[in-house]
Amino acid sequence: MSVLRPLDKLPGLNTATVLLVGADDALLQQLADSMLKTDCASELRVHLARSLPLPSNVNRPRVDLLVFVINLHSKYSLQSVEKSLHHVDASFFLGKACFLATGAGRENLCSVHRNTVVRLAHTYRSPVLFCDLEVEGSRAAMAQRLARMLQISAGHVPGVSAMSLLSLLRSSESPSLEDL
Amino acid sequence: MESQPEKRAAAEPADSGGEGGAGGLPQVAGGRSEDRVTLLLRLRAQIKQQLVEYKSMVDANEEKTPEQIMQENQIEDKIEELENEIEEVKIAYEMKSIALNSEFMDNMKQILKLNKLIIRSQKESRSLERKRLEIRKKRLDLKKASESKLLEIQTEKNKQKEDLDSMENSDKIKTIRQNLQMEINVTTVIQHVFQNLILGSKTNWAEDSALKEIVLQLEKNLTRI
Repeated sequence: MSVLRPLDKLPGLNTATVLLVGADDALLQQLADSMLKTDCASELRVHLARSLPLPSNVNRPRVDLLVFVINLHSKYSLQSVEKSLHHVDASFFLGKACFLATGAGRENLCSVHRNTVVRLAHTYRSPVLFCDLEVEGSRAAMAQRLARMLQISAGHVPGVSAMSLLSLLRSSESPSLEDL
Repeated sequence: MESQPEKRAAAEPADSGGEGGAGGLPQVAGGRSEDRVTLLLRLRAQIKQQLVEYKSMVDANEEKTPEQIMQENQIEDKIEELENEIEEVKIAYEMKSIALNSEFMDNMKQILKLNKLIIRSQKESRSLERKRLEIRKKRLDLKKASESKLLEIQTEKNKQKEDLDSMENSDKIKTIRQNLQMEINVTTVIQHVFQNLILGSKTNWAEDSALKEIVLQLEKNLTRI
C-alpha cells in the first residue's frame, strides 16, 4: 500500500497538478473540464481517481493539490473518500488538501448532512468548499477558485505558501456551534 | 478497492497567446522575446518559492516529533495552540515589514535631502573658485603692468642719465667751462690784488664797516660756485 506524499518528487517546470478524488466520475470529469478551461498562466494538469491508493506502476508527476469531492447525495462517496484518506501522508494536510462538497442546494436529495463533511474537514484541519457541480456557473466559479489554490500550492505564486493560504482560509466557526 | 483505474485529463495549457508552456519552443516573431523574458522571470519566481517550501519541509522534518501518546482532545488542543502560534508569527512579520518599509522610506527621503544639499554646495564652491581664479588673473595682470611701468621708469632714468652724461661731454660745455675757469682765474687774481692792496696799505680795515665787508667778501673762494 503506497501512501501519497506531497514532496517526494521534484516539481515540473511551470506545471501544477491537481488530483481529484471522488466516487462520481461524471462530476469529476465535468469539474476537470471546467478547470482546464480557466485562464491560468501555469500549465494545469488534472488527474482523476475514484479512490486511493493509486496504482504505483504509473509514472505521474507530483501532486500539488488534493481535492476530495464528496457528493452529498450519496453516502457511498463519503465512505469512499474516508477510506482514501488513510492513504494520504499527513503532510498533505498542511495546505495541499481540501474537501469539496457538492449538491447541498437540493436539500431533499441530500443523504449526507453538510455538518458531517464540515466535521471531517475540521478533523483534518483542511478547508471545505461548497458548490453545485451540476450547475454551470457554480462549477466554473469553483474551477477558478481551485485553479488559484492549485497555483499557490504548487509554489507558483511568490510570497504565498500553501500553509499561509490555509491559515487564511481557516474558518473561525467550529462545527460544534453549527449543531442544530 | 485497490488499483482503481486512474484517468488523466488532457493537460492543455489554457493560457492565451502562444506561450506554449515550458516545453514549447518560442516563436520567432519579435514580440515573443518579451514573452520569453516574462516566462523566465515567472519561472524564476516559481522555483524560488518552491525552494523555500522544500527548505522549510526539511527544517520541519529535523524537529523531533513527540514520542508520547496523547489523548485525542489533548492533541486537538495542541493543534489549536500551534495554529494560533502560526497566526501570531504571521502578524508579527507583517507588522515588522510595515515598520521596515516606513523606516526605509524615511531613510530614502533623508538621502534625497542630503543629495540636494550636496549639489547646491558644490555649485557654490564652483562659483567661488571661478571668482578666485578671476582675481588671481587680475593680480597677475596688475603685477605685469607695474613691472612694465618700472621698466619704463628705469629706462627713462637711464636715458636721462645718458643725456646728462652726453651733455657733459659735449664741446659747447667744454668751451663754456674753459671760459668760466678763465673768468674765475681772472677774478681770483683781481681778488688777490685788491686783498693785497688793502693789506698793504696798513689801514685798520676792521674799523670801517665798508672795508670789513669788502675784505670778508674777498675771502670767499670763488671756485666754490
